Amino acid sequence: MGSRASTLLREEEIEEIKKETGFSHSQITRLYSRFTSLDKGENGTLSREDFQRIPELAINPLGDRIINAFFPEGEDQVNFRGFMRTLAHFRPIEDNEKNKNSSASEPLNSRTNKLLFAFRLYDLDRDDKISRDELLQVLRMMVGVNISDEQLGSIADRTIQEADTNGDNSISFNEFIKVPPVDGEQDY
Amino acid sequence: LLFYWSLGCWCVLLLLFVSVASAGRDVDSGSNDTGRNPAPEDSHHQTNSTHHKKAFPVLSFNFDHVRKPFEISLWILLALLMKLGFHIIPRVSHVVPESCLLIVVGLLVGGIIKAFDEDAPVQMLDSKFFFLYLLPPIILDAGYFLPMRPFTENLGTILVFAVVGTLWNAFFIGLTMYGVCQIEAVKLGRVDLLSCLLFGSIVSAVDPVAVLAVFEEIHINELLHILVFGESLLNDAVTVVLYHLFTEFSHKGTVTVADAFLGVVSFFVVSLGGILIGAIYGIIGAFTSRFTSHSRVIEPLFVFLYSYMAYLSAEVFHLSGIMSLIACGVVMRPYVEANISHKSYTTIKYFLKMWSSVSETLIFIFLGVSTVAQPHPWNWTFVVVTVVVCFVSRVLGVVSLTYIINKFRIVKLTKKDQFIVAYGGLRGAIAFSLGFLLPDNEMKQLFLTAIITVIFYTVFVQGMTIRPLVELLAVKKKKESKGSINEEIHTQFLDHLLTGIEDICGHYGHHHWKDKLNRFNKAYVKKWLITGERSTEPQLISFYNKMEMKQAMMLVESGSAAKLPTIMTPVSMQNIQPKEPLKRRAIPSISKSREQEIRKMLRGNLQKTRQRLRSYSRHDLMVDPFEEDVSEVRLRKQRVEMERRVSSNSAANKQSQPWISKQQLGKDNNIP
Repeated sequence: MGSRASTLLREEEIEEIKKETGFSHSQITRLYSRFTSLDKGENGTLSREDFQRIPELAINPLGDRIINAFFPEGEDQVNFRGFMRTLAHFRPIEDNEKNKNSSASEPLNSRTNKLLFAFRLYDLDRDDKISRDELLQVLRMMVGVNISDEQLGSIADRTIQEADTNGDNSISFNEFIKVPPVDGEQDY
Repeated sequence: LLFYWSLGCWCVLLLLFVSVASAGRDVDSGSNDTGRNPAPEDSHHQTNSTHHKKAFPVLSFNFDHVRKPFEISLWILLALLMKLGFHIIPRVSHVVPESCLLIVVGLLVGGIIKAFDEDAPVQMLDSKFFFLYLLPPIILDAGYFLPMRPFTENLGTILVFAVVGTLWNAFFIGLTMYGVCQIEAVKLGRVDLLSCLLFGSIVSAVDPVAVLAVFEEIHINELLHILVFGESLLNDAVTVVLYHLFTEFSHKGTVTVADAFLGVVSFFVVSLGGILIGAIYGIIGAFTSRFTSHSRVIEPLFVFLYSYMAYLSAEVFHLSGIMSLIACGVVMRPYVEANISHKSYTTIKYFLKMWSSVSETLIFIFLGVSTVAQPHPWNWTFVVVTVVVCFVSRVLGVVSLTYIINKFRIVKLTKKDQFIVAYGGLRGAIAFSLGFLLPDNEMKQLFLTAIITVIFYTVFVQGMTIRPLVELLAVKKKKESKGSINEEIHTQFLDHLLTGIEDICGHYGHHHWKDKLNRFNKAYVKKWLITGERSTEPQLISFYNKMEMKQAMMLVESGSAAKLPTIMTPVSMQNIQPKEPLKRRAIPSISKSREQEIRKMLRGNLQKTRQRLRSYSRHDLMVDPFEEDVSEVRLRKQRVEMERRVSSNSAANKQSQPWISKQQLGKDNNIP
């Protein structure tokens, strides 16, 4: 599972990725070509700069956080396996694969895991709670610079007040899930 | 209750009088009408008779003067009273959808008028009247309040159903009827293929009015509602094209391949042209609304007139008026709502609902009345086969299209969904009016009869049974969730997230384009079309403001108003609009925390748009999910919570927020 120097994708690797993430063969090859096109250094891994080179991501308010989500703790490079693993969260759920994944207790792209992914984007310090400050940061990113802190603060307060059921002044994952689902399923 | 019924009967009597009087006038003009009128008119009608002595007429009777407006008002009044009556009788309105009852009333009234006088002009549903006056309000109402998010998310599906589905229906019905007519036993051999196809194209289109009327009452989930409703709106283009195509072809007699090709081209022209015209008018309207801050009272009129002009202009070129109207409403709405005052917004909303309600009621009543007016050549085979074939083709069309569509959809349509979509394909007054416009040939009456039968069948049978079927199949109902700031944030967050992922994958999907559109909108369009500082207001903030405003109003209405402070400091005065419906009661001074809490709530400025319009009922304006769901207990709890938080916050910010446009506030104060 280490980073590979070679830039070719071998069949057995495709098979492994398929088993782990559930993507189909064609999807994997397509994503691989995208991976290689992003990998300017041609060393089989992506760094943060490679991601930041994508123009649309630069103007996306959540761009930095999304990029961070690809990199495991403390590392600066992500290989193709890691790339696919993160993307697997967003594969649309298909009916016929409900119980195929024997390795994981829950397939990577189940709704809970998707929401967990989103939750982790909010919760930077990984304490399993979205505190008011973390919420404020996200709001500030989404809303821009024109709005006063106090205004944002009251929005954050209201948000927490609406979602918080156990009164700890922060949003835990369970409370996060309860927000009515807007279909966050990515059309791959 | 009795009062209403007697009033209704009174109206009917007056109507009879009017029609009888008008017939009477035609027969013997200039004579005394008193012998006929059942109403307590106690004067003599003096025209040009010289036999009576010319005393000064203390009380004279001149009905002709006001006849037309009088009749129109009477009809409308009758319609409204009936509507009221139905809602007062609770049992009936649960079983039978309102549209059915209205048609029955129309039948009765038509029957009565006809019984009195054979020649009375009972043909009420004149096509011109229908298309120019009755239909636009309903479509505008639907388009203006169209929930954009589900609509755009399902646009592909809706388009496939609308275009391909309607085409399939038209051809299937047309060809089948032609085949049936060829059978010797039916004795209808004179019907040629083109007429049948024309008939098929008229009767195949799902009707938005009927769908709205029935689906409103059953409250199914958003997805199904938008599918059927969106289809009924968008298939207008197809209907227009097919109708004109086949009419032209019947005139010409022969069809060439080039004509068929031109037909396809004209479809695109009709739909895209309609949308373009609508969008242009919408932009002009939005631009105009930017400057209306000087004259707030006429703001609603701009919205109505621009939309109506869009409709009429599209009709001039034989483009799809419905699509133009929808495009205009959709384009205009976000900008206009950012510009106009709160009152104007309310006015627009209520006027639209009012007009569309009246229109719809009138349409159904007139449908009933007009049925009686026609001679009905009844051919069992033709009519029954039409009804059966319509149903069959609809089911086949929906099932096969869903099979194909599901390959591209993420959220697949289940069998239950398909059933509801198929069953909800109601025909209505548009089909009837189009049929009425047919050139007068021998088949016209037969076609009209068949069309009316299909309409009655779908509205009565399908309309009445769809509610129990929905219950039986346990179809998902509309989620009665009030808009919450949490949801909005969540939605936006997910949008950004998914757009980002899409960009990483290099996949230009739904989110990518939506994001691009939003950026373009923010960067260029909003600057032009929205006044002042609101143009830079992020969506989240506007949404939040609306919610706060709503909550503040609700607090007042729920009776906690006694606890609200009124005039505190000059600062809070600035934030409170004097004309807002907050009751001013003198209250002794109140704690600073309360004051802050109130000021926060009232920070919302003017706009009261519903971003997430989950549930709106066209018949009952006061039902508002937000107002319904939150009980007073919960309100108090919320207030207590907010108070707690406010007091725990250290910063006490007394400054009014920089982005409240004082000039806007000032201008609003000038409304008389």
